[in-house]
Amino acid sequence: MTGRVIVITSGKGGVGKTTTSANIGTALAKAGNKVVLIDTDLGLRNLDLLLGLENRIVYTIVDVIEERCKLKQALVKDKKNPNLSLLAAAQTRDKTAVNAEQLKEICDTLKEENDFVLVDCPAGIEQGFQNAVAGASEAIVVTTPEMSAIRDADRIIGLLEAKEEIKSYKLLLNRVRPSLIKSNEMMSVDDVVEILSCPLVGIIPEDTGIITSTNKGEPIVNDENALAGKAYRNVAQRILGEEVPFLDLDEPKGFMAKIKNAFAKLKAKV
Amino acid sequence: MEKGFVENGFIIDLSDAKNTTQLVFELSSIMEHPDVKGKKICLKLGDLDLKQSQLLSIKALIESMDADIAFIDTNSEQTEASAISLGIIISELSDKEIPSIAASSESNIKEEAVEIKIEDENVKKDDLNKTIEIHADIEQNQNSPIETAEDVEDIYEEETTQEISEIIPTEHFETNFETLALNEGLVPKEEISKYILLDTGDVLPAGVEENSVNTEALPTLYINQTLRSGQTVTYEGNILIIGDAHPGSEIVATGDITVWGILGGIAHAGSLGNITSKVRALKLNAIQLRIAGLYARRNDTLNVPYVQKTNEFTPEEAHIEDGKIVIYKKLRRD
Ligand SMILES: Nc1ncnc2c1ncn2[C@@H]1O[C@H](COP(=O)(O)OP(=O)(O)OP(=O)(O)O)[C@@H](O)[C@H]1O
Ligand SMILES: [Mg+2]
Repeated sequence: MTGRVIVITSGKGGVGKTTTSANIGTALAKAGNKVVLIDTDLGLRNLDLLLGLENRIVYTIVDVIEERCKLKQALVKDKKNPNLSLLAAAQTRDKTAVNAEQLKEICDTLKEENDFVLVDCPAGIEQGFQNAVAGASEAIVVTTPEMSAIRDADRIIGLLEAKEEIKSYKLLLNRVRPSLIKSNEMMSVDDVVEILSCPLVGIIPEDTGIITSTNKGEPIVNDENALAGKAYRNVAQRILGEEVPFLDLDEPKGFMAKIKNAFAKLKAKV
Repeated sequence: MEKGFVENGFIIDLSDAKNTTQLVFELSSIMEHPDVKGKKICLKLGDLDLKQSQLLSIKALIESMDADIAFIDTNSEQTEASAISLGIIISELSDKEIPSIAASSESNIKEEAVEIKIEDENVKKDDLNKTIEIHADIEQNQNSPIETAEDVEDIYEEETTQEISEIIPTEHFETNFETLALNEGLVPKEEISKYILLDTGDVLPAGVEENSVNTEALPTLYINQTLRSGQTVTYEGNILIIGDAHPGSEIVATGDITVWGILGGIAHAGSLGNITSKVRALKLNAIQLRIAGLYARRNDTLNVPYVQKTNEFTPEEAHIEDGKIVIYKKLRRD
């Protein structure tokens, strides 16, 4: 078996890479796929917290690289889903403890026995990013509908395009607030897609449930009722090749709204 | 009030403490009593040599309990010098005149010491039988250098004084828990264990054997700061931290680990196989506890609040018993 290695990246920090990794990983595993999540944010790891696995981590990716344990031993199984496991980042080390080649080797090994290897990338475009991208052939670029995040996403897409190994990249728009789009205070989904000219893989609404789920160590995809959970499940299905319509987050549709929207677009581009 | 008590205060006799770690723990168990608030404390420090920074943190800790040091009584020139430089009054207490609190003797505390009743009982002895699925059979990172040592202020080795007086039971801290618990017929009520053993296989480094070296004979690394996420302290000997150890931090000692504060990170005592090593903290919330070759993770069902405060001082201790990590907690019954 040769699984798919997908890096989840953004450029800008705090836009939802880790949240996305945890949720897509969980959703793919729930759909019956074998999934490994790799946290490459050395020194600022979070993925274990979002999955509620911190107390189970004995070995980290640095222990694997420095040969203190075998790769298999460092994989922490999810509490609920045996299909899902985590390769944790080391909290007490920094990005220089790992290099791109080593990460690529780990990804190559893991994809032999898994359907998906999802790599949670740290913010920035430095070594951490280069490491995370090294073993991947696909990328999901996370952004929010804000000019600064979009600018950084654009930069990242440029870097990804320059990488031969990255065969496809898609955009995930996070923290969308339909009411703000309606009142023209937030760029619409179309605006963002147009600015970045990049295919969409998902639209995730702003959802306070994400905060509580983070604190509980339980990804929101497990919550059948949460809108963001449903949106993430849809992303997983699209990754699996299904055609799923985007959730109706109540975008403005009328003629007047379109004109208003055009103004918003203008404003956004200035 | 009885003779010997300064007004609105009392004497704490710590002269039996053999090292700073013990002193801190004795003090904490006395200070846990609410009556200490607002009191003037006369500290009897005996022969123990305390450096200025050590004495300063003891003072700070007493002050953090809304109490004050009235004066200290010491036989050590070192401690005396420290006290002078800190402006702490030195006075002599004669044993004959004054009923003192011998921290090491339970009956003394009850009979003579103000109204404090330190009834430290075993409350909960956790059942740590369950196992989970993490496997590991290789060497762990033992030999990493003290990573934060350069950044940590006030680190030095403390020479442990090894005079074992015959009156003091060597392990009185532990025996109190166990025997008292038995005498009081206390049994754990909660079904949920606080920690669950990880089945990690043989995690001691290659060539390292289990051993039972007396940890009191080891030097102690003394750290007077809060350990934050990502910081590691590794030391050959005991580690005493006055402050909290935040989640994400890691403490690795070949001997005991004592945190006078909240322990929230990973603590590995007896990292070179010493199965008599202990982990002690005022609040034991470690995400993982490791003693010698045994690893235990905090129970998932244990709800640790996002913000942890501790006004209540209920020291907890983890050690190995019958091949399991068990936790004892002191509880005040009132
Ligand atoms: N759709 C959403 N609705 C509400 N809050 C969200 C949403 N997505 C993410 N957040 C919040 O945004 C914050 C940052 O998310 P996250 O940690 O996933 O970002 P990140 O890109 O991984 O950050 P970093 O760059 O630091 O690694 C978190 O507090 C998270 O709860
Ligand atoms: Mg992150």
